[in-house]
Amino acid sequence: MIFVNHLSSKLPFDKEPERQPESPARRILSVSELTTEIRNLLETRYFDSWVEGEISNCRHWQSGHLYFTLKDQNSQLKAVMFRTALRHLKFTPEDGQHVVARGRVSVYERKGEYQIICEYLEPHGRGALQIAFEQLKKRLQDEGLFDQTRKRPLPRLPRKIGIVTSLDGAAIRDIIKVLKRRHPNLHLIIKPTRVQGDNASEAIARSLEAIAKIQGVDVIIVGRGGGSIEDLWAFNEESVARAIVKMPAPVISAVGHEIDFTIADFVADLRAATPSAAAELVIAAKEEVTSYIESLHNRTQTSIRIALQQATRQLHSLDRRPGLTSWPARLASYLRHIADMTHGLRHAGHEGLDNRRRWLHDLQHRLETSGFRRTLSTSHTRLVAADGQTNSAIKRILQTRDAQFRVLAGRLDNLSPLGVLARGYSICWNADRTAIIFDAENTNSGDTVRVTLRRGELSCEVK
Amino acid sequence: MKKTTKDFESAIAELEQIVKTLEEGELPLEKSLELFERGVKLSKFCHNTLEEAERRIEILDERGKLEEAPETLELTEKSDSEKKR
Repeated sequence: MIFVNHLSSKLPFDKEPERQPESPARRILSVSELTTEIRNLLETRYFDSWVEGEISNCRHWQSGHLYFTLKDQNSQLKAVMFRTALRHLKFTPEDGQHVVARGRVSVYERKGEYQIICEYLEPHGRGALQIAFEQLKKRLQDEGLFDQTRKRPLPRLPRKIGIVTSLDGAAIRDIIKVLKRRHPNLHLIIKPTRVQGDNASEAIARSLEAIAKIQGVDVIIVGRGGGSIEDLWAFNEESVARAIVKMPAPVISAVGHEIDFTIADFVADLRAATPSAAAELVIAAKEEVTSYIESLHNRTQTSIRIALQQATRQLHSLDRRPGLTSWPARLASYLRHIADMTHGLRHAGHEGLDNRRRWLHDLQHRLETSGFRRTLSTSHTRLVAADGQTNSAIKRILQTRDAQFRVLAGRLDNLSPLGVLARGYSICWNADRTAIIFDAENTNSGDTVRVTLRRGELSCEVK
Repeated sequence: MKKTTKDFESAIAELEQIVKTLEEGELPLEKSLELFERGVKLSKFCHNTLEEAERRIEILDERGKLEEAPETLELTEKSDSEKKR
């Protein structure tokens, strides 16, 4: 359109003054006239043409228009595609691509060039979608958006799970079904989203942004059930990829197709083949941490059991050392002993007491019944009498003994050396008082002897 | 909620440290028992935290508001989920 307007601005050239009439056979046209005629002819004849060729000299202009050449072995055809048409293109035209173009042929009068104004372009052979996919994939990959280092782990404790999908499809039902079956306590926040058709990619991107604003969402599932490649196409769009990359929490892509990957799969933190697989992954993450905690718990128990066993063994080995070996046995025998004793004590105590009580009772009975009292009082009288007799007899004996004692004591006195000394005798000892000197011959002149007197002692020198 | 999550993570980290220390087995028995007690407490806390989350399904509408999901989404076992509330 713009191009046409542009051309029409050149129309004043058409209105050049009429030349002199010539012969009827001779009709002279201006360049512009001819060009316009050619243009009209071409535009009428080739207003909707399909042409196949290879792209070369491909140039994107700042205006957003694309200029290129289509060629085959023998010919070249200038081509242009305006920004408005380019916007709908799934892929980016590049040199060397073999394409099929649809458009109208027109003439750029100023240069006298004809060209095809393309309304539509598709890769020849491979589908446009395929080309577009590979181009976007390469671009995002070059940006590093597929790097493993970018992938975030799923939360160990998923609090809120954001889900971007359609409420009508099987996807949401599959997810809920899995969660129900496994019975984890999970909080789902679903953003109903159109996932196919026109502008589905924009809708998905907006939904992701909305979920990103919800506090506490710590994992997001974005996806849909299976379908044709066209149905799934929104997940190959750049806007979806960019939105996934920007999410503050890890994203699981869950587009229902087992074999191929979508662009969303590449940029997501985790890829699930189906929506229910995505739900399984979230639960698995939670169950994994649950069993991990259990294993930690078991390990604390195991290690404390080992520590206790070691301590017990140590105690036992101490036990076996000679000084201590007998202790438990001794203690045990003491305990047995004490038990026995306690038992015996009680037993014997009771028995003995009972016996005694019985005996006492017997005795009392016999006392009272047998006239023992009388016998007792007779005995008492007799005892008193006997006592008197005994006393005098003892007195007599004592008197006799006393006399005897005195005699004996006197004799003893005489025999005692002290008694001898008392009578004036003295005892002569050697110098160190170890032997009595019985014979003067046994002394030498100058020897010292000791002489014990009745009172005191003399130290004398033999002459 | 964030705080709980953080506590949860740090509880796991502490529990891991305790298990490691206990498994090295170089501590006196008394200290081991002390750690063991703490470990049991931590693993209980983690376990409870995992269990305490409630099951809920909400729909985020165009104006960014949250609403309970329609019952049609709850599929079967509706009575079960009602019991839980």
